[in-house]
Amino acid sequence: MGIRAAISKAGLHARPAAVFVKAVLDSGATVHVGRRDGAPVDARSIVSVLALDIQPGERLVLTGGDEELLDRLAALLEADQ
Amino acid sequence: MVVTAPLSGIAVPLHKVPDPVFAKAIVGPGVAITPNAEEQLVLAPISGRLIKLKAHAFVITGPDGHSILVHLGIDTVQLNGSDSELIATEGQLIAAGEPVARWHPERVIAAGLSPVCPVIALEASPEVISTIAEGPVVAGADLFTWE
Repeated sequence: MGIRAAISKAGLHARPAAVFVKAVLDSGATVHVGRRDGAPVDARSIVSVLALDIQPGERLVLTGGDEELLDRLAALLEADQ
Repeated sequence: MVVTAPLSGIAVPLHKVPDPVFAKAIVGPGVAITPNAEEQLVLAPISGRLIKLKAHAFVITGPDGHSILVHLGIDTVQLNGSDSELIATEGQLIAAGEPVARWHPERVIAAGLSPVCPVIALEASPEVISTIAEGPVVAGADLFTWE
């Protein structure tokens, strides 16, 4: 299982959260996302991800899947419009 | 479960929303409402807990676990709440038809943004949504059914 720090450039409001969750779902892997000091949530759930209320520029931790997937997800978060 | 209209306006298919993430139903299936341009109350579309409440969007999770997202306009996160005044409180229980916020779509239009409001069934597949309204709707009227 991988673990990866990432920065959410845009924050995880509805649109970037939906793009992120879709990427996780498309991978077929189980991935969790959360703040470094908070409880992680299932990144396949748009409801859970929206409830995190991640603000632009916040640091996150991704766990699960493999390193290649987590690198890709981290790049997506850091590139979000 | 019947999902009611949070606003008065014109119901339009999601694919007409000027944002590909909503238009392609990546957020989820549903319908959008082009609001009547004057100030109006935004009503809860279902009964449940207001799990997330922001000035530009909110999510209500019903007792059966179904969650509805209402997004007030497109790209309105950048208005930092200048287009709405919250009435409800995040975390509270709310009944369908109760007011969540007072919203000013005319301010969204003045800012050069689209005031169209996607009403989205979260974590739902498209086939569970039916009897989707199209055309004029009034706040509180049936918008779609989630089976």
